[in-house]
Amino acid sequence: MEDSPSASYIHQVHRLIEECILFNMNQEECMEALSRHANIKPIITSTVWKELEKENKEFFDAYSRIQAEGGSKTVSRQKILDMNENYLTILFPCLTFHE
Amino acid sequence: MLAVSPLRSTTDGEQGEMESFSIGEDFADLSEGNLLESIDFDDLFMGINGDGDVLPDLEMDPEMLAEFSLSEESEIVSSVSVANNTSDNSNGNNTVTTEKQDEVIVTNFSSDSGSNSGSSGEEIASKNNESTHSVAVNPSPKESEKGRKSSTHSRNNPQGKRKVKVDWTPELHRRFVQAVEQLGVDKAVPSRILEIMGIDCLTRHNIASHLQKYRSHRKHLLAREAEAARWSQRKQFMGAASVGRGGGGAKREVNPWLAPTMGFPPMTPMHHFRPLHVWGHHTMDQSFVHMWPKHLPYTPSPAAWPPRTAPPPPPPDPLYWHQHQRAPDAPTPGTPCFPQPLTTTRFGSQTVPGIPPHHAMYQILDPGIGIPATQPPPRPLLDSHPSKESIDAAISDVLSKPWLPLPLGLKAPALDGVMGELQRQGIPKIPPSCA
Repeated sequence: MEDSPSASYIHQVHRLIEECILFNMNQEECMEALSRHANIKPIITSTVWKELEKENKEFFDAYSRIQAEGGSKTVSRQKILDMNENYLTILFPCLTFHE
Repeated sequence: MLAVSPLRSTTDGEQGEMESFSIGEDFADLSEGNLLESIDFDDLFMGINGDGDVLPDLEMDPEMLAEFSLSEESEIVSSVSVANNTSDNSNGNNTVTTEKQDEVIVTNFSSDSGSNSGSSGEEIASKNNESTHSVAVNPSPKESEKGRKSSTHSRNNPQGKRKVKVDWTPELHRRFVQAVEQLGVDKAVPSRILEIMGIDCLTRHNIASHLQKYRSHRKHLLAREAEAARWSQRKQFMGAASVGRGGGGAKREVNPWLAPTMGFPPMTPMHHFRPLHVWGHHTMDQSFVHMWPKHLPYTPSPAAWPPRTAPPPPPPDPLYWHQHQRAPDAPTPGTPCFPQPLTTTRFGSQTVPGIPPHHAMYQILDPGIGIPATQPPPRPLLDSHPSKESIDAAISDVLSKPWLPLPLGLKAPALDGVMGELQRQGIPKIPPSCA
């Protein structure tokens, strides 16, 4: 069912998008970067991005908050990694206690 | 018990002493001269006053006093009196020591006035009066003072301990957390927390120790979560990788232990897998039980906590520690996740010699990645704009090493969705033949 070249390609785009996110890029910047550096059509990038958003809504919510607050380019990679680790506790504080 | 006998002596203190003397016959099996040496006064009074004084200070802990039942006290008294009587028959000495004993007796027994020994206490008091009168004055204020306290303690706290055990119910804890959050976790001071909570039966000490545990728990929790998140990354990666690599990826086989190129060490928190794989769903409760094996008070009753099987827990209960979790900039959790991407990269790069540029990339972007600092500084590593070189390096790295894990571990997009959308956009298949 899965077309493996397509699947692996999409996976690669996925990975690239994640890298871009760690550079604190927004969708447009990501499209541009992948197009320039990896020859990936922007439409593909944006499509994968949108699908990632659907699957990872909470993450992207938190990510957009970071982008909104962060004067964009000064947000460090680490901050995004942190956010990735922690947004669950931000968005769903009730999830963090398990006993 | 031997102890009871001297108290049964009614009026005559000396008779009491004689009685104790007779009791002492048991001790007399030892040579009289050795009796004193054989009796370790420190041990006798260890419970009272740990500084090793033979006779306890009157200012002793009321709870300690309360602990001393009549029988215990009598035991000590009788033993001491025995010792004294045996060792030194001079009246002066006996009087002195007896006096002090009587002080003790009076103090303690009076404080236990509620107990059955009340009458005996009076007897001893009378004995006291006979031997010396100076005693009567001194201990009385202290008696009464200790009497109040001791009686209170013996009522409420049969153990006679100083600290009242606090039962941290979820509701109580919730208020605690509210107070802490209000003050700010790092600035929360027990006295202020107490004020805010406004609960009478809590002492500052209770709050302080609870606060300590709370803070420690938070740190642990965030570290665990970071670890678990990494696990989900692995899992997703492995699933995707097997699809990409295997070619026949009809099903995703998640088997990190058999990862061919990934050399990451087996990580213990495997049970974090399933729960964190789906963002937003929480089934981590079972795994975190192990975090607090010793904190039994904080896991009151199993019924209070979400059932292990139900993925979405009832909201109030798991809100225990982290109900008011702070903002994303919590310093501690960033650390464990730090080395992970790099570590795995290293492992992965064993098969590909193209290490330097990759490491260079990481170094450029994040020199702190290998530093196990508890507080990762918020480095604006990218300055005003991510350099093209670093982006390029990162991208080419991804392209050249498809086995690398996802740095963020986001859930993969739905292939159908992507493909469908692309087809709508006029791209029938990917990778497209033309870039």
